[in-house]
Amino acid sequence: MSDEYDNNKTYQAQSSETMGGSAPASPDMDYVRPAEIPDQELYHGHSFITKWVFCQDAKVIGVQYFLTAVFTGVVGLILSWLMRLQLGFPGAAGFMTAEHYYQFVTMHGMIMVVYFLTALFLGGFGNYLIPLMVGARDMVFPYVNMISFWMFFIAVAVLMASFFVPGGPTGAGWTLYPPQTILPGTPGAGMGILLMLVSLSLFVIGFTMGGLNYLITILQARTRGMTLMRMPLTVWGIFTATVLAMLAFPALLVSAIMMTLDKILGTSFFMPTIIQAGEVLDYGGGSPILFQHLFWFFGHPEVYIVALPAFGIVSDLISVHSRKNIFGYRMMVWAIVGIGALSFFVWAHHMYVSGMNPWFGFFFATTTLIIAVPTAMKVYNWILTLWRGNIRLNTVMLWCLGFIVTFVNGGITGIFLGNVSVDVPLSDTYFVIAHFHMVMGIAPLMVIMGAVYHWFPLVSGKFLDEKLGKWHFWFTFLGAYSIYFPMHYLGFIGVPRRYFEMYDSPYMTSAVGMNEFISMAAFIVGAAQFILIYNIIKTLKVGKKAGHNPWKANSLEWLTSTVPPEHGNFGERLPVVHRWPYDFSVPGAKEDYITQTTPPSEVVHTEVEKT
Amino acid sequence: MVKAEKKEQSASTHKIGIYMWIWGLLFVLSFFSYMVDWYNFQGMLRWSLILFFMFLKAGLIMAFFMHLFWERYALVNVLLWPMTAIACFIFLMVAEFEYTLFSRAFYFVVGGGA
Amino acid sequence: MSDPKIEGLQLKPGFRGMADDTGSDQTMFKGVHWGKAMMWIFLLSDTFVFSCFLISYMKGRGSTLVDWPYPSEVFALHVGGVSVPLLLIAIMTFVLITSSGTMALAVKYGYEKNRKMCGWLVLATALGGLTFVGMQAFEWSKLIEEGVRPWENPFGAAQFGSFFFMITGFHGTHVSIGVIFLFIYAYKVFAGHYENGGKRGWFTTMKGDYVEIEILGLYWHFVDLVWVFIFAFFYLW
Ligand code: HEM
Ligand SMILES: [Cu+2]
Repeated sequence: MSDEYDNNKTYQAQSSETMGGSAPASPDMDYVRPAEIPDQELYHGHSFITKWVFCQDAKVIGVQYFLTAVFTGVVGLILSWLMRLQLGFPGAAGFMTAEHYYQFVTMHGMIMVVYFLTALFLGGFGNYLIPLMVGARDMVFPYVNMISFWMFFIAVAVLMASFFVPGGPTGAGWTLYPPQTILPGTPGAGMGILLMLVSLSLFVIGFTMGGLNYLITILQARTRGMTLMRMPLTVWGIFTATVLAMLAFPALLVSAIMMTLDKILGTSFFMPTIIQAGEVLDYGGGSPILFQHLFWFFGHPEVYIVALPAFGIVSDLISVHSRKNIFGYRMMVWAIVGIGALSFFVWAHHMYVSGMNPWFGFFFATTTLIIAVPTAMKVYNWILTLWRGNIRLNTVMLWCLGFIVTFVNGGITGIFLGNVSVDVPLSDTYFVIAHFHMVMGIAPLMVIMGAVYHWFPLVSGKFLDEKLGKWHFWFTFLGAYSIYFPMHYLGFIGVPRRYFEMYDSPYMTSAVGMNEFISMAAFIVGAAQFILIYNIIKTLKVGKKAGHNPWKANSLEWLTSTVPPEHGNFGERLPVVHRWPYDFSVPGAKEDYITQTTPPSEVVHTEVEKT
Repeated sequence: MVKAEKKEQSASTHKIGIYMWIWGLLFVLSFFSYMVDWYNFQGMLRWSLILFFMFLKAGLIMAFFMHLFWERYALVNVLLWPMTAIACFIFLMVAEFEYTLFSRAFYFVVGGGA
Repeated sequence: MSDPKIEGLQLKPGFRGMADDTGSDQTMFKGVHWGKAMMWIFLLSDTFVFSCFLISYMKGRGSTLVDWPYPSEVFALHVGGVSVPLLLIAIMTFVLITSSGTMALAVKYGYEKNRKMCGWLVLATALGGLTFVGMQAFEWSKLIEEGVRPWENPFGAAQFGSFFFMITGFHGTHVSIGVIFLFIYAYKVFAGHYENGGKRGWFTTMKGDYVEIEILGLYWHFVDLVWVFIFAFFYLW
């Protein structure tokens, strides 16, 4: 520890004394040095427009992000239903052609990864929670933050517009690999792909504005006493994910620009010489592999942009609902940072079958397997947090447990796929589909659900209904396993991904029953999500009042002046932080939790963590 | 400790001389890198000279014009680490273009395994 | 900039200070204005954008079987019948470095609250930037006249034109945006927005301060920095 805090020394000395007996509480043990920066002045909206539409309050912006992302998520869900309908019952949806299927696959993938999960975690949870959790009045640049949301909104609008242009949306797969992406014959190779690229660029620009806000708020606008190592892991997860986004999205932006030029100016960045229907096209000399490198230099960190906030949030939920401090807090922080850093050195594990330099397989398999180490550490720490905890088996906890199981499952298949020799036969099969849905689809989704049940009382002041919540959980959990477990098997027998139908191949017969079953499960799981929407509407109308700090948590977002928090979050004075947010079940303490703002002099008879 | 003393002088007291010096040096270095082309150096010599002048210029701009030399290490540290990812990307893409060049030459010029 | 004075906190130099700052509460970059921290992180992100462009260029140029045009000749200017290699580029570099120097001085005078000097120097920087954009427009039109297009050119590999127009275009866009902001800030300096405690900005509740000139300066030096790399990799390679 540094000796910046005079109070720190007294505090440490004092807590070792308490072992022996009582120590008089000295007044300066609560000393926290004064604020470096004067209080932030806020712009308060006056009209409906400035309060709810072009609002500069990060909490409102967070909810706006959340709702927009959920809207795109529902679109993605409906697309997945249509795909499953075709796969399980070929021809049942009369209008479904192979072209439509490709378009739906593509839009489903892109929507879910970028416009749903990324926007939800960083834009939604990030905006709502960061200022509250670090004890700031708002994001540091509220105006830029507001623009960020509207950029995202326009990006979504452009994306959705591509459903209605001639030729429809692009059907190139969410990876958008050239050369086929922009060649006639691929659905949506005209306007569809252009709108997709424009939308992605807008998303990146909008996200950069938001991301700068999140980072500077965390780095430069914490409240008194809030050190980096006293931040809730939620903030650490979102912070690291934002760093990854700031450094990975440039690669996406660059590849989108180059692809746009290939499309409209006829440059050949990514386009090799191509003979189409006997005719040599104007393209020549470009490198499709280059696109794949750029795309995955973005794409792999993107996976962790989705996963790291989930890791952080789930750590907090587990700790609060098992009334125990998170096991190995520092290890958890370093694991998040380490995973984030390593994620820039593994990208080509998505390209084992691409024809890249063969030596790369060795390098990337090694780095990929190294990432498993910090990841496994996190899983152990979650389990050790639960170990002998005072577990409340409520809906939130159920989602957390569901997350751990699902994440371990998806993580282990990831280790399979990280090895070149195992990946080569499995790539582009349903095994891969099963793997990434488990690890980056279902697992983070479970955390989102848990987080919604956990923080809804803060946002609205009311508890979501527990009974409905448990139904929601069990339908989703069992249903998701019914969907994705069998897919591993389909992958092993060689069923390829991105296929509209199995034609006369042997898979047709051996996979048919399983595909029907998976599709049925997918319909049920999808429908079960509407339980949540019903629950929310019902709760807003007749829900049980939650009051202040209903979960008896320690972190600052629960210690606001009003519930739900007002603009400015903390009333007259900002909170002063004296400890980490995980002092649960501390021996000797009056209650089983000690909030972050409780000064040492109030807990002299306890053995608290020296953070 | 020499560093520490240098850091003492505050923003407003930077002597104008230091900026003039850096300014002059940038012109001189640009002139030198231009000369690399003028005298038509080739091969490794050309490359090492280009890179040497480039990094020197970049370093001077960052250190003095962008004040990184006077900033506290916490900021400098945060800014420099991500460059390892770029370095790795460059390094691997060199390996990749050599392989692409090889396979193009092998299949399109030599005629490949056929 | 230099070490700030912070109440109740003894700042340490060097790596010790780095560890302490990182581990402390409230701020990690001690005394660094929010906007300046934001500009730095933005520039870091932008560095990745330009790096990706240049890496793509390297990959493209390194793996081409068709001969790459010889930049020394393509970019030569004819002065009185003699072909001088890279002359225009040399002048452009000269202009950009000049404007970088005036910017650095503007920042210095800003911190000394010397409104006149600061304002004139920002204006000079803006004019330097404008000259640069103008010369780039000249260079582009000259190349286009000689038949260089993004999709083809008479000298060799088609990717030459593609990368050239894309990368210098992207850099030029940065310069142009910078020029616009330089003019705006020159106005703000002369109008005294940073005097007497500062006038409120347009889209923010924060009071104006000469640190904004430093933030603008960071951006402008970055544009110069990128040019250093483009100069080395595009024109000298
Ligand atoms: C009820 C939930 C979901 C169902 C039933 C579902 C179903 C599917 C199906 C059938 C495919 C196409 C397989 C193929 O033909 O290749 C697919 C692809 C994909 N899904 Fe999902 N999905 C769901 C949720 C998610 C979520 C939450 C994510 C977020 C990460 C996600 C990401 C993807 C991606 C990235 C692809 C690949 C798209 C491509 O191949 O271009 N999915 N999904
Ligand atoms: Cu990956």
